[in-house]
Amino acid sequence: MSSPSPATAVIADAADATGSVSLRGITKIFGSATAVDSIDLEVRSGEFISLLGPSGCGKTTLLRMIAGFEHPDAGDIVVGGQSVVDLPPHKRPVNTVFQSYALFPHMTVAENVAYGLRQKRVPKSEIAQRVHDSLGLAQMVSFADRKPSTLSGGQQQRVALARALVNRPKVLLLDEPMSALDRKLREEMQIELKLLQKELGITFIFVTHDQQEALSMSDRVVVMQSGSVQQIGSTEDVYLKPANEFVAGFIGKQNFIDASVSGTDALVAADGTFAVSSLPSGAREGSEVRAAIRAEAVHVSAQRPAGGGLEGTLAGISFLGDAIQYVVVTSSGLELIARATPDRAEPLGTGDTVWCSWDASELRVFEAA
Amino acid sequence: MTTDAAPPTTAPRSTPRARRRRGITGYEALGFPTWAYVVFFFVVPLGLVLWYSFGYKPDLFNAHANDVLSLDRYVEALDATFIGTFWNTLRIGVVGTLICLAISVPFAYWLAVKLNPKWRPLALALVLVPFWTNFLVRTLGWQIILSPRGFVSDALQNLGIIDGRLDVLYTAGAVQLGVVYNYLPLMILPLYVAIDRAGPALREASADLGANRWRTLWNVTLPLAAPGIASGCLLVFIPLMGDYITASVLGGAQGNMIGQLVASQFNTAQNWALGSAMAVLLMLFIAGAVAIFGGIALIVRAFVRRARRVDLDVELPGGAS
Repeated sequence: MSSPSPATAVIADAADATGSVSLRGITKIFGSATAVDSIDLEVRSGEFISLLGPSGCGKTTLLRMIAGFEHPDAGDIVVGGQSVVDLPPHKRPVNTVFQSYALFPHMTVAENVAYGLRQKRVPKSEIAQRVHDSLGLAQMVSFADRKPSTLSGGQQQRVALARALVNRPKVLLLDEPMSALDRKLREEMQIELKLLQKELGITFIFVTHDQQEALSMSDRVVVMQSGSVQQIGSTEDVYLKPANEFVAGFIGKQNFIDASVSGTDALVAADGTFAVSSLPSGAREGSEVRAAIRAEAVHVSAQRPAGGGLEGTLAGISFLGDAIQYVVVTSSGLELIARATPDRAEPLGTGDTVWCSWDASELRVFEAA
Repeated sequence: MTTDAAPPTTAPRSTPRARRRRGITGYEALGFPTWAYVVFFFVVPLGLVLWYSFGYKPDLFNAHANDVLSLDRYVEALDATFIGTFWNTLRIGVVGTLICLAISVPFAYWLAVKLNPKWRPLALALVLVPFWTNFLVRTLGWQIILSPRGFVSDALQNLGIIDGRLDVLYTAGAVQLGVVYNYLPLMILPLYVAIDRAGPALREASADLGANRWRTLWNVTLPLAAPGIASGCLLVFIPLMGDYITASVLGGAQGNMIGQLVASQFNTAQNWALGSAMAVLLMLFIAGAVAIFGGIALIVRAFVRRARRVDLDVELPGGAS
C-alpha cells in the first residue's frame, strides 16, 4: 500500500499474483442507458476501496462485472495481473458477499461455508478444518449446524462473510453487505470488518451508498455518479478536497453559495464579500462560481467576527446529540446550515441576528454548472 | 361467560362446551363451505364406493346389492387381467411421469431463467391454452395426427422416413405419447413456480463460489425446486394412473389401462360392486406406489445430505464450540 506509484504496485502484483484489480475503460450499456461509462480504476493489492454513490450510479453493476455476473460491453478487467473479463464467475479468483447474503436455505451454516471448497474438491478433513477456522473468524462456530433461516440478519451476514473468506480469495467484493443491519450492529461490523481486512491483507472492494460507512472503513473512496467516476481519493481527500460540486454535495453536509469572482482572492455573493484561498483554474474576474462550505466549518456567533462574514437570522436550532445544527437565513434568502459541537456552541435562540463566518481555506470554489 | 356453574378455577373459554359452541358460531364457521364440500363430494362418494365394494350384483337388472356383505368382490377383482393391466398401467404411469419430468425440468428452467421476462406470460399461455381445451377433444386430435392415413403418416412416407403407413395408433406407444401430452402442463407449472421463486441470487452465489452450471443445477437449483418436482410428479402420476380416456381413444386393444377396467364394470357390465372393489384396489395400489417412490426419494435425499454434511466436531477433537 505504501508503493511508490500504482504502476509499480501492479507490476509487483503481476509477479507474485496478489490481489490487485485493474479496470480499463469498462463500459456497460443496458438498453439505451449507459450504466457504467468507460471507467478506469487501479485497486492496489490489500487495499480497502469503497465504491460510493447514490443508487443507480453504476457501482453495483461495476462490482457485478468484476464478479463476472455481467459482461462489460467494452474494456478489460485484470485481477492479480491476469485478464478475467472472459472468464465465467466460477473461474475468477474473487468472492462476493451479497447484499441479501444469498445463503443456501437447504444447507446448514457449515455446509454453506463448505460449498466453495467442495466445488474445488478439497479433501474432506481439510474442508472441516478450514470451515472451522473461517467460522471462528466470523465468531459463528457454535452456529455450524443451524439453518440460515434460524439466524438473525447480523449472524447471516457473518456466515456470508465466512463463506466467501474460506476460499481465500485474492479479492473480496462486498455489495452493500450492511444495508439490512440496524445502526448499532452496522457500526460494530464496520470496525470488525476493517480489522479483519487489515489482518488478512485481502483486497476489499466495498459498494455502499452510505458515505459514513465508506469514510470509516476505506483506504480510498471512489465517488461515482451516473456511471462515471467523480473522484478517486483517500477518505480525507474526498471529504476535505472534493473534486467537484457533486462530490462536495454527496459527502458531508455542504452549503452552496452562488457568487462571482472579484480579483484573485475574493468572491462577491448576494449577501456580501468573502475571501477565498484558491480559485478554479478557469476563473476570471467576474466569472460565475459556486462556493461550497461544510456545515461544521461554519461558525455561528452573535458578535460580528473580525474578518467579516454573512449576517442572517437564526431560523432553527436542532440538537443532534454529537452536534448542534443551526439554520441561518440571510437577507437574500440563502439558507446556511452550520454545525457546532455542543461544548463550543454559544447560547443562541431562534430569531437572533447572527454572523456566519469560516476560515477561507475551508471554502471550496467550483465553476458554476 | 357461558355457564354460571363453571368452577371459578376453570376459565370458561377452555370448557369443551364453550369451545364447541365457538366452533359452530365463531369465525371457524367460515370454514363450513370448505369442509361441507369435502364431505359431500369426497368423503360421501368415497364411502359409497367402499360400501358398494362389499356388496354384489344380484341380477341382470340391478347394479349392486348390499344385503350380504363379503370380500368376495376383491377376490374376484384380483384376477390375472386386473393384475396384468395394473402392471401395464404402472409402467405407462412411471414412464409417463419420468418423461414429463425430463421435458419439464429444462423447459421450466428455460422459462424461469433464460427467457426474457417480457415473453414469459406468452410462453406460459402457450403451455396453458391446450389445457383449457376439452380433454377428450385434445386426445381425439392425436387420433388424427397418429392415423395411418393422416397427414403426419403421409409426410413421413413422402420424406422416406418410414416405409409403410404410420403404425402407432392403438398401441401402448400411442397411449404413452397421449398421457405425456395431456399431463405435461401439470408438471411444468409447479416446476416453473419453484425455480422462479428461488430467484437468481442463489445461483449467482453458487457460481461465485466456484460451481459451474451443472453443479449449480445439481446442488442449488434442483434441491430448491424439490417441492415443485414432488408436487409435479404427484399431479401427473395420480390422475394418469386413473386415466381411461386417453387409453380408450388411443390405446385400442393393446394399450389397456386399469381405469378402463373400472369404467367398463360401471358402464358396460353394470356391476357396481365389482367396479367399486376394483376402484378401491386401484386407490390402494396407487397409494402404495406413491409411498414406495416417496420412500426411495427420502433415501436418496438422506444419501445426498450425508455426502454434503460437514462434521466439525469429529474432525477437530477439542476444537469446536
